[in-house]
Amino acid sequence: MDTGIASPRLRIAVALTVNGRRVSAEVEPRMHLGDFLREQLNLTGTHLGCEQGVCGACTVLVDGTPQRSCIAYAVECDGAQVTTIEGFDADPTMAALREAFAAHHGLQCGFCTPGMLIASRDIVLRLGDVPETRIREELSGNLCRCTGYVGIVEAVAAVAAGREPAADAAAVPVQARVAAPADASVAPASVAAAPAALAAGGAGIAQTIALGVSADAAWAVLSDPRAVAACLPGAELTALEGEAVSGVVRVALGPIKVALAGQGSITLDQAARSGVLVGRGRDGGTGSSAEGEVRWQVVPRGEAASELRVELSWRLSGALAQFSRGAVVEGLVRRLAADFAANLEARVAGQAPPAAQRELGLLALIWAVIKARLFR
Amino acid sequence: MKPVAFDYVRARTLEEASEMLAAGGGAARLLAGGQSLGPMLNLRLARPMRLVDIKRADGFRALAADDATLSIGAGFTHAEIEDGAVEDPARGLLRHVARGIAYRAVRNRGTIGGSLAHADPAADWVSVFAALDGVAVARSARGTRRIASGAFLRGAFATALADDEVLAAVELPLLSAGARWAYRKVCRKTGEFASAIGVVVLDPARGLARVVAGAVEAAPVLLPATSEALRDHGPDAAEAALAEEIARLLPHLDPAARRLRMVAVRSALRDIAGEG
Repeated sequence: MDTGIASPRLRIAVALTVNGRRVSAEVEPRMHLGDFLREQLNLTGTHLGCEQGVCGACTVLVDGTPQRSCIAYAVECDGAQVTTIEGFDADPTMAALREAFAAHHGLQCGFCTPGMLIASRDIVLRLGDVPETRIREELSGNLCRCTGYVGIVEAVAAVAAGREPAADAAAVPVQARVAAPADASVAPASVAAAPAALAAGGAGIAQTIALGVSADAAWAVLSDPRAVAACLPGAELTALEGEAVSGVVRVALGPIKVALAGQGSITLDQAARSGVLVGRGRDGGTGSSAEGEVRWQVVPRGEAASELRVELSWRLSGALAQFSRGAVVEGLVRRLAADFAANLEARVAGQAPPAAQRELGLLALIWAVIKARLFR
Repeated sequence: MKPVAFDYVRARTLEEASEMLAAGGGAARLLAGGQSLGPMLNLRLARPMRLVDIKRADGFRALAADDATLSIGAGFTHAEIEDGAVEDPARGLLRHVARGIAYRAVRNRGTIGGSLAHADPAADWVSVFAALDGVAVARSARGTRRIASGAFLRGAFATALADDEVLAAVELPLLSAGARWAYRKVCRKTGEFASAIGVVVLDPARGLARVVAGAVEAAPVLLPATSEALRDHGPDAAEAALAEEIARLLPHLDPAARRLRMVAVRSALRDIAGEG
């Protein structure tokens, strides 16, 4: 793939204001704001818990609003005003919260405290005197590993008592709009799906895809592993020896792109017009693996039509499995199946499959998984 | 928890962002608020070679309206919608939904356009966009394209945006004074991604009646029969049509998941009935 991108620049200059002090530095683009504050400015009051935007410990103010410093990169914050927990010494609201946290036993181990205080100050100033349920709702993005929420909520309620909410935000001005028509949509292929028996510890799906070609014509393609691979978005067959296949399946799940490389075996039953592909593949980049099985059969529906029945079962492991919810993968597989059917029909009709279907999204991913097992 | 090394460039205009994406040949990724992309980067699930930051691009944060439609720049944050700084074309629906997205610290950074382009099926804006039958405005160096909601969302994490296209704005209908809406999100903890979403929008003056089952792990599903029953005969008739239509349109979900969607939509329909 020609990416046009040479190796990433090591460092990029940024200038921002931290706790009222102007700071200039050169940072790696991948350095998140929390690490920048802690490692380069020694402002270790900002705590890093999960580093994936869940726990709230690293919350700081960026341009006056609380934000997660672990999922903002320092390079993005060029020109920003950042306030960390060390920057509130002269802030009367924070002084009141500090006292209230101590008085109400809201401190405990202290790990979540910097983020809790910055989130709490925002609640007090923005919302004023609100019910406890609202305080809990607003604090739900800050986790306390000591589970000391009762004291924390009481402290916030004590400081918020009697306060007025902030004035409404200034409205963004609205310009006059020039309208234009929307593009036509792409009609989806018709695909019926039903739940399938699941592989142990994995997931599965059964699909029936209507094909506008005869069973013999469909089977001519579906009994040729190379032709099948050509119809599968993202699949590339690198070797085929007897029943043994190897190859790569490239799939994209939003910003996640994997290339599952592996081996498998393919078994065909010419009389029944059916096949089984079993395989496993691994993506070195994300450290994810997939294994699975695809069974397919072509059933005649009159002279010029047929049905392709596909049963897929798969199991993901590694980072990809952590990320993907099972049903998301099912949806991805269904869409891949629709694309597969369209490519198959085109191929049987003597047309080349549409090019540039390298990565198709989640469904593609699932197919890729399947493919990795089946078609590599 | 440190991302793989990447390069970073800042686009001054959306057209420039498009050119930067095209030059990256698939290895470049847009960065708006980064509240979904950031965790994926940190977990090394996403490994782009270059991020193209569009937060500060011209025209990314503009509002424009005519008599029927409000165009909301993709770069507005959830918090700006929650606070009413961005006019709500849906008479409170957007503000209500925005408040339930993740947590305030995330809402202060995450953008409506970023969420839609990321297209997590369980994300709130994905279902709302479908229910309001919005239009996505895609900008590239090649020009501007408008894509209807039904064609924009292709599936989980998949949109109709081409590799060099940037989601510039979303166009939403300005609901009339008599319009009603209901939004039900099922999740175990405040701010989580939804396990199920039900959205109902009813605007008789505009002839708009849309009932959507969301968070179905694919593009949100419009329920046409239920919507028609709502428009012609009201929420009770819509509820009567709901179970059959959910069963018909979501056969692939397991029974528990299907029921969860039905409950979310039914609750939203009852919210509408309660107001009426």
